[in-house]
Amino acid sequence: MRWNRLKADLAIIGAEIRKTAKIWFAYKILMFFWAIFPLIWVIPYLFQGKALVGGMSSAPFAQLTGTENYMAFVLIGAMVSTYIFSGLWGVGNSLREETYWGTLEYIIASPTSLLVVLIGKTLAEFLYATVMVIFQATLATFFFGIDITFGKIFPLMMIIVLLVIGFYGFAIAFAGFTLLIKEVHGWVHTLEWVFFLFSPIRYPVEVNAITKLVSAFVPLTYALVAIRAIILLNKSVINLWQILLILGVMDIILIAGGYILFNRLEYRTKKAGTISQY
Amino acid sequence: MNIVLDNVVKKFKRGKGLRKHYITACDHVSFTIEQGELFGLLGPNGAGKTTLVRCIATLLIPDEGKITIFGKDIIYQSMEARQQIGLLTSGERTLYWKLTGKDNLKFFAALYGLAGKERDKRIDYLMELLDLKDVESERVEKYSSGMKQKISLARALLHDPKILLLDEPTLGLDPQFSRFIRGFIKDELVGKGGKTVLLTTHYMDEADELCERIAFINKGKIVNIKSPAEYKDEIPHTEVLELRCQGNVNEEKLRTALSSIKSVEKVSLINKENDLALKVIASRVESILSDVIELVRGEAKILAIDVKEPTLEDVFIYLTGTSLKEDTREEQPDALE
Repeated sequence: MRWNRLKADLAIIGAEIRKTAKIWFAYKILMFFWAIFPLIWVIPYLFQGKALVGGMSSAPFAQLTGTENYMAFVLIGAMVSTYIFSGLWGVGNSLREETYWGTLEYIIASPTSLLVVLIGKTLAEFLYATVMVIFQATLATFFFGIDITFGKIFPLMMIIVLLVIGFYGFAIAFAGFTLLIKEVHGWVHTLEWVFFLFSPIRYPVEVNAITKLVSAFVPLTYALVAIRAIILLNKSVINLWQILLILGVMDIILIAGGYILFNRLEYRTKKAGTISQY
Repeated sequence: MNIVLDNVVKKFKRGKGLRKHYITACDHVSFTIEQGELFGLLGPNGAGKTTLVRCIATLLIPDEGKITIFGKDIIYQSMEARQQIGLLTSGERTLYWKLTGKDNLKFFAALYGLAGKERDKRIDYLMELLDLKDVESERVEKYSSGMKQKISLARALLHDPKILLLDEPTLGLDPQFSRFIRGFIKDELVGKGGKTVLLTTHYMDEADELCERIAFINKGKIVNIKSPAEYKDEIPHTEVLELRCQGNVNEEKLRTALSSIKSVEKVSLINKENDLALKVIASRVESILSDVIELVRGEAKILAIDVKEPTLEDVFIYLTGTSLKEDTREEQPDALE
């Protein structure tokens, strides 16, 4: 019985991924945009680096981060944050899209947990974001001297998976929130700026005591520290076991919290009678 | 009994702060629907029909009362209850327009646990039955409104449910598609399929033609439940006076004046941009004709006068004082901001 349910849930997740992909491919102009976007996204960072430090590296910067390579530091932050935010945006917005299409009620009226459909949407976003980040990482390797050798791929994947699991727990709660409040843009942008401020995406959080303190509660901080340590400082994943442990614990908290919060918010939306409102 | 509603209450919040108040969309609603029955919910816009359907379909959680589907509580055994239900609502935007009709059905089939050959066979059968085979590989955005509604109907039937909830299924469709959908409900779903159907509509002809029993609903309350024939027997008059007029009238004043005429029992008045539709139910239409004309002439220009046999709508007016064409829309909640 349980195996049959699992099989059915996997089939639903597969159907959701196929459906999402087909809808993406239907918007050809968007495909074109996303194909060229990774080629231009790095340019502002390049100019910013040149303006600030006059090139690709900075000695004072090394005192805070352990690496002189400012450009590599920022590019890694940009890649990981793009990866996370595109997922957050995608998952958060996915139920809003279903409401807009008028299909959400039919999904909820089916004998399937909305959470299973949301997991399908999450995986679809994850696959899409992965393709984008691979493209960006390839560019960064060729043009900015970021050293991602074959041996670093597995440790990096381990950290990214740990980061993504926690973040999608957060995104699922966020999707429940958007189901209730019917708004995504403002909240995603607010969250983006909170993360930009309190995690080392563009700068080392050590520059300020408050950012340093708050960043300790943000999983992105640990993931970025570990990813940079592997790529820029050639550290082994064994040296980073504490970070992996922290990320693992945060994942459990975020997934459990996301699940509980989503179910409560779904119940509240059904009670308020606003499920079909856009 | 397939569907049982026991004292169902649903309230929606309106306004904020000091202006916050609750409106009752469903007010202690109770009825049962038997197996294989085509049961109608008839009432004007905003009467609470859609709220009730949403509650039964588990899209809304009632504030009070209990709903069961084949004995399964829709709150605590919602998955089992949903497996028995097929849902069809009005409106074009209920499908993925960028997907083909077939891809839409494949996605929803997965939600009902259908896969592989079983799914393909079922989709082929439904496409054939609803005459959609030729367009199954075209994107839904290219379909006409009627074709979209047919695909939605196919979706409702994918898992061969025992119960169908049809919420205004012909709203906005042209007469040809409306006729097809009505025929399909009567002949295929109930006739051959033996399905239990809950149909909501504000088209009296539709309810009259299709339903075995009809619940009149007004302002969230069930007014009465009877067969169409029983309803018509209930009205003790054989004639209804109808007038079509034009002019800027004081509705309340005219309604009061008409109601004060001796032997007038009910007055229905619908004013849309100075186009006035007036119905007067009286024990003897002949005797009130001159008085009515005189009163209306003083307020508006009379375009047409007709004396007709009472319809279900007239019975509705007789029982509730409200026309089915009126918009009493109050049942939508405020969105959270």
